[in-house]
Amino acid sequence: MHLQLRSIAKRFGAILAVDGVDLDVDGGEVLALLGENGAGKSTLMKLLYGVHRPDAGQVTIDGRATRIDSPRDAMASGIGMVFQQFSVIPALTVRENLALAHASTPWFTGRGARRATAGLAPLAAIAPDVPMDARVSSLSVGQMQLVELAKALQQDPRLLILDEPTAVLGDDEVRRLWSLIRGFATRGLAVVLITHKLADVAACADRVAVMRRGRVVASGAARDFDATRLLRTMVGERDLAAPSTAPLPADAPTRVWIRGLSARGPGSRIDGVDLRIARGEVLGIAGVSGHGQDVLADACAGVLSPDAGEVIVDGETLFAPRQRAPRAGRVAYIPEQPIRNAVAPDLPLALNLHLDRLHTLPAIPDRRRMEADARALLTRFDVRPADPTMAAGRLSGGNLQKLVAARELCGAPALVVASHPTMGLDLAASAFLYHQLFALAQAGSAVLWISEDLDDLLHHAHRIAVLHRGRIAGVVPADQRHRQTIGAWMTGHADAEAA
Amino acid sequence: MSGGTVDRARAMAAPLGRPALAAAAFVVLAAAFFAVIGRNPLSMIGVVLEAAAGDSYAIGESLVRATPILLCALATALPARVGLISVGAEGQFYAGAIAGTGTVLSMLPTPGWTMLPLMLVTGALGGMALSLLAGLLRTGLQVNETISTLLTNYVAALLVTWLVYGPWKSPASQGWPATVEFPAAAKLPALFDSRVHAGLLIGIALAVVLHLVLTRSRWGLVLDVLRSNPRAGLVAGLDFRRNALIVMALGGALAGLAGIAETASIQGRLQSDIAGGAGFSGFLVAWLARNHCLRIIPLSLLVGALLASGDGLQMFAQVPSSVTLVIQGLLFVAVLLVNGWLDRKRPG
Repeated sequence: MHLQLRSIAKRFGAILAVDGVDLDVDGGEVLALLGENGAGKSTLMKLLYGVHRPDAGQVTIDGRATRIDSPRDAMASGIGMVFQQFSVIPALTVRENLALAHASTPWFTGRGARRATAGLAPLAAIAPDVPMDARVSSLSVGQMQLVELAKALQQDPRLLILDEPTAVLGDDEVRRLWSLIRGFATRGLAVVLITHKLADVAACADRVAVMRRGRVVASGAARDFDATRLLRTMVGERDLAAPSTAPLPADAPTRVWIRGLSARGPGSRIDGVDLRIARGEVLGIAGVSGHGQDVLADACAGVLSPDAGEVIVDGETLFAPRQRAPRAGRVAYIPEQPIRNAVAPDLPLALNLHLDRLHTLPAIPDRRRMEADARALLTRFDVRPADPTMAAGRLSGGNLQKLVAARELCGAPALVVASHPTMGLDLAASAFLYHQLFALAQAGSAVLWISEDLDDLLHHAHRIAVLHRGRIAGVVPADQRHRQTIGAWMTGHADAEAA
Repeated sequence: MSGGTVDRARAMAAPLGRPALAAAAFVVLAAAFFAVIGRNPLSMIGVVLEAAAGDSYAIGESLVRATPILLCALATALPARVGLISVGAEGQFYAGAIAGTGTVLSMLPTPGWTMLPLMLVTGALGGMALSLLAGLLRTGLQVNETISTLLTNYVAALLVTWLVYGPWKSPASQGWPATVEFPAAAKLPALFDSRVHAGLLIGIALAVVLHLVLTRSRWGLVLDVLRSNPRAGLVAGLDFRRNALIVMALGGALAGLAGIAETASIQGRLQSDIAGGAGFSGFLVAWLARNHCLRIIPLSLLVGALLASGDGLQMFAQVPSSVTLVIQGLLFVAVLLVNGWLDRKRPG
């Protein structure tokens, strides 16, 4: 298939999201569509998939002008898409999900959906290890994504659009996805891979197109773009100094003591976690996801009441069983999944930026002042659009993350709990966020930084603690030499250190 | 149909505003209904208007019907501000009527000036108690507040029936199940020489005050956050349980106030079925107004007028008064249609 986009444009209110884009995609090739958060990549592809309708421009498929008004039209034209937000139904089994999406499934299946065989072939082909009769809610994120992919493949598309598929995956899953994508291209499919990870480009792209502020600013063969050139094109001429943490003085006093903390959350728990974080220290928490990271973060931020132990900040017990001091101003918290945990989606940005200090506002808050404060913060943290009256739910994923960072990192907290703070952020935004985080540390905050990216942790943290099954398996200085040890702790081989 | 035409139609319709559009849709639907039952739509609509607002008596009766609906709509809208769906205004209305009547009966031989304020306060407390029960079940045991308020409606209504057939039955009523007649000291002042009482003014004033508090105050913002995302509220250190209990309590108090005011000033005694669906009409009004306290005022008056026109229809047009229930239903359908049409997610 040959797909041609010409002068595609789309405006949302005052924002020109896509501004006259020309783009070509051919069968048998993988096009990596790159750009920062809010550059217009996802919007462009949603226009192609019929989720939105373009204000102007033309779509041509194999030489024929094609009008795509809905995802149904897109599918009929041979276009399939896997979104960032999954559309699988968690309460149903894999088999039922696939049967639901398959065209040949009758409208009434009775109990037949449990035995349905229609539409299973694509999943069996790409991932024979996913259990067909398991509920989707019990699958890992990577497996859910494979089910989504299988759903798209059921339509037998000739063009497949993947929206940031690697953002949520672990290392092994990413490698598997790369090889699947290469396989699709070999079979003649056209693949558009929306991403901001340079590793994705290197691993599987034939061509790249880079978007900035709604326009395609560069495109060409992937081999002609090295990492430096890609970065330059994506972010423009802004400064991209690598963030770094200041060395920690040997005599830095303990600022935060997480003392024998045990707590239970939905699905996981922590058990007797004991950590001291020095003034100015960045303590990384490494571990395979699901080993209690979310519970540790919630308990340290006072959101979850612990069963035992306490969180002592500047010598004062803030959180303990049946004791919860207000965290505002002293403990900053960037939880995972900000849309679920940290913002009120249908309320304005100005209010969302005051969420953790609502009680400090006067009884009749001055809206104009709130909005003025908010505008300054939005500009400083580069949240786009910087409109304090806009509902938070309309921000893109990366900008939501920036919004939460802006709120939590703007003060001078004693403790910062940051859970996957750069998830969904592009390179420039990640670098900026690390700058802010490490600047707080340098100013004296204690930082507890939870991440699954061991490279980032080794690079920036002062020490790394490994969480395994809710317990601290060990703590080492962040140094490449300890990589093996950390890996062994993460997988539960506590004795590897001795080896 | 081309998207452009619809968009243009929508753009043209926008300045007319939702109320005008909804009113137009309502008139069309009502006319169609009258045509279907074999009546001349124009003359029937004339009768409805006549019966709802034709003279000062009709207007008075419309306002009488609107008063409890207004208070019950506020009683529904308030819990909705934290995302709680209470359908319990009807039951809280009865609970208020019971508590207030208890006060009146206990003070009876010697009614003084304290009777009216005490009756109103205890009435409000009665509604509050029933609503708090649902609130506590929700915040303490995760019992769905919609189900519990629905069920307590029956409990409260049957409790009234039991009281007026049993312990509180007036010996002078010769078998009619009702309490004794309330003394004049228990009646709210009447307005403009009609049956309309000061409860209407109280309701309108409360709607305005609530509107200002909910939209201007810090507390209003707290409620907004808890409704939008309770989990984010928790992470931000907001107390869902406390605020849920406060709005349930206040909402219950408003419905309880409606109950005792209606009992004392309109019925003059406690008897069965006095709410007459005011709680449920209130729920629908709150829902139509999208829990916006100011919009609740005109909508309550409109629904009150419609319901009041039922008697007129029966008398002048010889149709069953239940026709007004159909008309009320059509009003909701009209508003739904217009809202759905204007809010349809724009494709793009």
